[in-house]
Amino acid sequence: MNTITLRNTLPEVFAQRTDIHSDVWQQEVVFEKEKTYLVEANSGTGKSSLCSYIFGYRQDYLGDIFFNKTNIHDLSVSQWVDQRKNHLALLWQELRLFPELTAMENVLIKNKLTGYQKQSTIDAWFEQLGITDKRTALVGRMSFGQQQRVAMIRTLCQPFDFIFVDEPISHLDDSNSRIMADMLMAEAQRQGAGVVATSIGKRIEVSYDVHLKL
Amino acid sequence: MNLVWKLLRQHISVPQFAGFFLANLVGMVIILLGIQFYNDTQAIYQSEDSFMKEDYLIVNKKIGAVTTITGKANTFSQAEIAEAADQPFVERIGTFSSSLFDVHASFDIQGFARFSTDMFFESVPDEFVDVKTEDWHYDEGSTALPIILPKDYLDLYNFGYAQSRNMPKLSEGILGAMKLKVSINGNGFQDTYDGAIVGFSSRLNTILVPQAFMDYANQRYANNEGALHTRLIMQVNNPTDERITTYLQDNNLETDQDKLDASKTTYLLRIIVAVVMSVGLVICILAIYILMLSIYLLVEKNSTKLENLLLLGYSPARVSMPYQLLTLGLNLLVFVLAFILLLIVRHIYLQLFADFFPDFTSPSILPAVIAGVVLLVVVSVLNIIAVRRKVMSIWNRKES
Repeated sequence: MNTITLRNTLPEVFAQRTDIHSDVWQQEVVFEKEKTYLVEANSGTGKSSLCSYIFGYRQDYLGDIFFNKTNIHDLSVSQWVDQRKNHLALLWQELRLFPELTAMENVLIKNKLTGYQKQSTIDAWFEQLGITDKRTALVGRMSFGQQQRVAMIRTLCQPFDFIFVDEPISHLDDSNSRIMADMLMAEAQRQGAGVVATSIGKRIEVSYDVHLKL
Repeated sequence: MNLVWKLLRQHISVPQFAGFFLANLVGMVIILLGIQFYNDTQAIYQSEDSFMKEDYLIVNKKIGAVTTITGKANTFSQAEIAEAADQPFVERIGTFSSSLFDVHASFDIQGFARFSTDMFFESVPDEFVDVKTEDWHYDEGSTALPIILPKDYLDLYNFGYAQSRNMPKLSEGILGAMKLKVSINGNGFQDTYDGAIVGFSSRLNTILVPQAFMDYANQRYANNEGALHTRLIMQVNNPTDERITTYLQDNNLETDQDKLDASKTTYLLRIIVAVVMSVGLVICILAIYILMLSIYLLVEKNSTKLENLLLLGYSPARVSMPYQLLTLGLNLLVFVLAFILLLIVRHIYLQLFADFFPDFTSPSILPAVIAGVVLLVVVSVLNIIAVRRKVMSIWNRKES
């Protein structure tokens, strides 16, 4: 997949509103590979909804979304599975980790599916983010900031054309934010992928090609 | 351990699955037992008269007060036999030949009693007797004589005589091993034969010897002064044919009622077994309902986990699999246990059968196996579809 195109897209709940001034909603927006995008927004403007639409999790929008030329309405179940496994990565704002599993198990449950990253790479990431000692701890007992780091590692454990990170550093200090940004960009560049980050203020510090105001 | 399974086994309710397991086991055992019991009892009805083929009718003239006085009127003339043979429902016809000489038989139950009696023989053409030919033949001049006795004789002895005199009960097997001493008088000859009982018939209320012996003996001891035919045996293509009844009525004939009685009993048995099996089926359906409910509840409780797995890129098929395997495993376990129970129960009642019917040979358990497999497959397929649908409803984020 080379492009993701949003054409006149608008969450259904905004359909009655007439005061929408957005760079994304009801516009034609094209996300391209190898570029970095920042989507800035106030809360309640549909930032997480945007991620859910593109990830095929929700369909409550007007307008169209295309992967290359394909309208994502037309994707079959197996095509969606393939997209999520091999082409699209998303770090959910709510993380969607499994509290019953340990930090490492949460990462492995993804990496065993894709078989993409080496165990040594994963170990190195744990090390870099300073949560090596938390590998065998249950995610349910970890702080949100620690969970964000685990979720980031899990998100990188797959091949992707685009990676979406939804407020990835909301609970991280500056030094960890920087490490995470470097990790993200290194992996995205290695894979030649497009990066879309969202923020409601605190943004992950990378060099953005495009700023979009939601 | 498989991480997906580690996640999805959360919230599995052991009591619910145990409930399903027990209920389904009971239902399955009842159904299988019903099928097997019916099958086994059918074998008894059939084995009871193994040497008389199913579709034989035995026909005789009705005996009234007038026939007793005139004497000869209850025999069939050659013309009447020919007419009967021409009937469209008759495939084969044979006549009973009676002995025209004196027969005296005796046998010992060693140490207990000695029986002796005057009796008679009859014979039908050999092709109507379904006994292995090496058992049912007579060589001229030989003293070995195979005999088929009415089952009633054995019952009279076992349930009447032996019961009241505290004598041992005899099975068909034991009697078959005993020798009957038969002495025959007539035409100036007196000979002794070693009678061997090769079988008991509940259809033929007479003492049968091979046709070859009858021909030889009537010649030797009675100069064959014209055997009289009082009964006919006919093979019909369909014993329930209306024309048979009409024909018998028109010609003032009657036939044996045994077969009708047996079919009535079979019919009743069939109804009882059907009722019992329906109860088993209802229990099974309820059990499957419990299983479905537990699975639905489990999927519901784990819906967030299932959803997250789907969003991670796990396919619905992969996510459904643990629960499908779980139900499949449970069903298989029920199936295997049901069969073990079936075999145990069957072993017990077959021993009872063996007491009553010494010659009983148990039929195969194939029908029960087939029924069990069909049940297993149907239930498993339903379960697998149900789990898959439930997971797809999570994929589609539909409330259900």
